[in-house]
Amino acid sequence: MLQYVNVSIDGAIIHAVKGTSVLDTAVEYGICIPHLCHVPYLSDIGACRLCIVEHVVNGRSEITTSCTLNVEEGMVILTNTDRIRKLRRNLAELLVAQAPNSRAIQDIALRCGVTEVRYPFRNDDCILCGRCVRVCTEVWQARAIGFVGRGKDRHIEYPFGVRPDFCKQCGNCIQICPMTITPCDGPMKPGEEYLCRKCESQLMDETPGSCSWCKLGEGFGCGRYV
Amino acid sequence: MGTSIREVVFDIGGGAVNGNPIKAVQTGGPSGGCLPLDKFDLAVDFDVLAEAGSMVGSGGMVVMDEKTCMVDVAKYFLTFLQDESCGKCLPCRVGVDRMLEIITDITEGRGRMEQLDLLEELADTVSQTALCGLGKTAPNPVLSTLRYFRPEYEAHIKEKKCPAGVCKALISYSIDPDKCNGCGVCIRGCVHDAITGEKKQPHVIDPQLCQKCGVCRSECKFDAILVT
Repeated sequence: MLQYVNVSIDGAIIHAVKGTSVLDTAVEYGICIPHLCHVPYLSDIGACRLCIVEHVVNGRSEITTSCTLNVEEGMVILTNTDRIRKLRRNLAELLVAQAPNSRAIQDIALRCGVTEVRYPFRNDDCILCGRCVRVCTEVWQARAIGFVGRGKDRHIEYPFGVRPDFCKQCGNCIQICPMTITPCDGPMKPGEEYLCRKCESQLMDETPGSCSWCKLGEGFGCGRYV
Repeated sequence: MGTSIREVVFDIGGGAVNGNPIKAVQTGGPSGGCLPLDKFDLAVDFDVLAEAGSMVGSGGMVVMDEKTCMVDVAKYFLTFLQDESCGKCLPCRVGVDRMLEIITDITEGRGRMEQLDLLEELADTVSQTALCGLGKTAPNPVLSTLRYFRPEYEAHIKEKKCPAGVCKALISYSIDPDKCNGCGVCIRGCVHDAITGEKKQPHVIDPQLCQKCGVCRSECKFDAILVT
């Protein structure tokens, strides 16, 4: 039998299933928390840090990712405070400056309120969200790709750099990758990257607190669309 | 625990070599912070140091004199921390890299004033959002040097000068003709053949050839090498 707990998210008292994450609970109840590395049927690693929320404990708030935080009785969560919005915007700015060449990244930057990018653009192909690694390992149990190296050298690779026999070429890693969605105006050449911001009209106000089924969610694979 | 930094540095450690004036102490290893001379009365204690923007950490202390550039110190520690990062979460992997990029710009004379605010904001973001303890403390060297040694950052950006004479892109070597007695030690020491001059006559450094390695400065017995 399912056990329920009461949590307060942005002041709304939510009757949530015990054992689910704060992010899943909030998204299910229509509270929008932007997220990128989270996919509903995969385990969470908390790599993109975009789904940060304030968790208020004894009057002190600590910042943590909502995808790795499970609901508990009496929990108080704030998802849309000034502090969170600012941190989220800075993170999204780092992300879009690193890899602007994807509609998913452009959309999440827009959703998080990035209006200018103060860093020089780099045209990286991978943001190490780990979606492909997790879908390969957890859904297909193939373990054909994994993280290799650490720090700046961390990347996704086949074992020893050669495609193994147990890779069935199912293509799920490509389907789930946020970097395979090209920007609306086509791929950006190195040195010509820009912040798109064309879908700004999709947003209800500057940063919506509740889910409005915006088209942006489709781009970055929001949990509501899966 | 509870001993003041001044006591550790001056009484137990015996102060600086050659009696150079001390500028700062760096406590707690690479992710600790730098404290200026006027914070030397603080006790070595977890809460006290954390409040001042540093930490006890490994318990180590690095004492720096006036010949140390604090921007260069921050750059050095960031390079180390970037190496140590596992690369899993975005703020640590990309954030530290971007901080290093900005600081490198500053030490190489491409810095802009608005970058300082960006650096501070970024450091704050990384410390609040990183996944583990390394990422959360990684901006400490930047935050503490920005807090206590901001004029030094500003000198790098506005005047394009490194007050401590460390950042190679912003300094030039020359010879003080009054102090130089023409002994020729620097000529023999210079591996780039950048110093010329007759015996017993003041020598001259060719700025085109000088690679700013600092060998002449350490060889000279008469302090005749000027760094500006």
